[in-house]
Amino acid sequence: MSDFWWDVIDPIQSVLDGVMFGSIYALIGIGFTLIFGVMHKINLAYAAASIGGAYASLAAFQLLSAPALVVFLCAAVASGVIGYAVYICCFRFIPEHLPLATLMASVGMLILIDEVVVHATAGMPEPYPAMFDDVMIDLEPFWVRGDLLMIFVLSVIAMMILLYILYRTRLGIATRAVAQQPAAAQLCGIGQQNTNAVTFIITGALGGLAGAMVGASVGILSPLLALPLTVKGLIVTVIGGLGSIPGAIVAGLLVGGFENVFQYFRGVTERDIYVMLLLFVFLTFRPQGLFGRMSTRD
Amino acid sequence: MDFYYGMAQLIGVHTLLGLSAYVVLLTGQVSMAQAGFFAIGAYLAGMLTVLAGWHIVPAMLLAAVASAFVATVVGFPALRVKGLMLVVATLAFGEAVRIFWFNFDYQIAKGNIQVGPLGGEGFKQIRYFPENGWSTADVALFIWAWVIAAMVALWWLDRSRVGSVLRAVGEDELAAQSVGINLTAVKVSAMTIGGFIAGLGGAIYAHYTTHIEHLNFGVILATFAIAYPILGGLSSVIGVLIAVIFIQGFLVEVLRFMGDWRNLLFGALIVLAMNVRPDGLFDARAMRTLRRLFGARDA
Repeated sequence: MSDFWWDVIDPIQSVLDGVMFGSIYALIGIGFTLIFGVMHKINLAYAAASIGGAYASLAAFQLLSAPALVVFLCAAVASGVIGYAVYICCFRFIPEHLPLATLMASVGMLILIDEVVVHATAGMPEPYPAMFDDVMIDLEPFWVRGDLLMIFVLSVIAMMILLYILYRTRLGIATRAVAQQPAAAQLCGIGQQNTNAVTFIITGALGGLAGAMVGASVGILSPLLALPLTVKGLIVTVIGGLGSIPGAIVAGLLVGGFENVFQYFRGVTERDIYVMLLLFVFLTFRPQGLFGRMSTRD
Repeated sequence: MDFYYGMAQLIGVHTLLGLSAYVVLLTGQVSMAQAGFFAIGAYLAGMLTVLAGWHIVPAMLLAAVASAFVATVVGFPALRVKGLMLVVATLAFGEAVRIFWFNFDYQIAKGNIQVGPLGGEGFKQIRYFPENGWSTADVALFIWAWVIAAMVALWWLDRSRVGSVLRAVGEDELAAQSVGINLTAVKVSAMTIGGFIAGLGGAIYAHYTTHIEHLNFGVILATFAIAYPILGGLSSVIGVLIAVIFIQGFLVEVLRFMGDWRNLLFGALIVLAMNVRPDGLFDARAMRTLRRLFGARDA
């Protein structure tokens, strides 16, 4: 093959890897967007709770040496529990008309979760189990990393389960009703507080899976992962359109591919500047995001 | 004694940072960009005194004006969006500024050493104070002169018509617009004032620490900036000062014996404070009580 082809193939390869990693951003973005859709509030502790859940699942890995898939499920369960705790501490008892207070409380929770993790692990990164990390699928001329493919597939399965819950179960109808019209939903006998709590648990579980995926793809878990993941998740939420789940999915994959191709061209220290620029382009030319309606602008 | 002066310097700089977020919060906007303006002020003022050999006061003012200018430019597109969108937009801007300085090299030879910002290694040797023989007490006084000037200016602003306009936008945009207030102009002005104060704070910060690097200006600092006014309450500039003293003085210094457990306590206390006093420590009612205590009439 000529040199020209190699120049093209490498960037495409990095887009592929990035898009697969982007499924993690999509999961985090869905969490932010779902909570925003239901409560019209931001839960800044969300990504920290995801990483916290992944850390909790390390107990299953280190003490019971459970297989990787079980560890991932443990992360989802643990993060669901943390999600409920976040709801109780930051959203349940703070009056609804004070968005600044809930915002700040969730920041406090972010710091708290991060610090608990730092304390439990003495701040050292911990190895995290992966699946298929020694597999390389050869699709001439491209390579597909086995662990990234596994992340992608697991994320897609998690999204399908979420969409099933939202659109095919009574719980999902209740959630969407509260998102649309809290007062009317309450008049129909849907408990707003209960629905909100369940939303936090479901998104928490989703986030826990995302946290586990981060650990599996990077190979280690570190409390330093929480803040960048928060920033990327929020960017994905805004690019996708607030409250739009398909938007979060597409934007997650887009941001993943975009950042990886710029990492290839410009290096790891500069790549995030281009992600921010992408965000500003969207804010300027399409402030409602990819799939958002103008009315969802808050 | 130097310890207390150092402490006063830290509290002063963080008060400026908190005040810069306070102005923007008055209009109901949550800006996570304050750390970015703070960084711009810090790097520019450092470059002016170290590389160009300026006196510190003009260097600070120019750096603050530059920060204010950037705040205006960012303000126009960013303030088209509100709520979560604005949080994310300003957060992204702040991070972009940090990464910009992370990749920014500009060094010149001075004597036999290289000075100036150097990417990831940061900007070392901002030694204006020691070179000119300022003692720690002088620096602390200098900082507090600026802090008091900023607080008095904002307090006066708050009592004037401008303050009412800012608060009107913060309370209810629709109502404010219907009485003829230009929302964009008000928000961008608040952002500009905030950028100016943050730039001043950053300029002082660079000079008293003598070494800055991009990691100093991350999301955590941006969070602190909005945490002070929200925790302290938006009723008065005093709230910001009280919150800074509480966090930097009490939590960080008095509880030093608790070691790392302090940070845990910090997060838990924020959560607790927001549950117990969602309007901030000094809400409107607390301010009224205070006024009565000091015998002033209700404003």
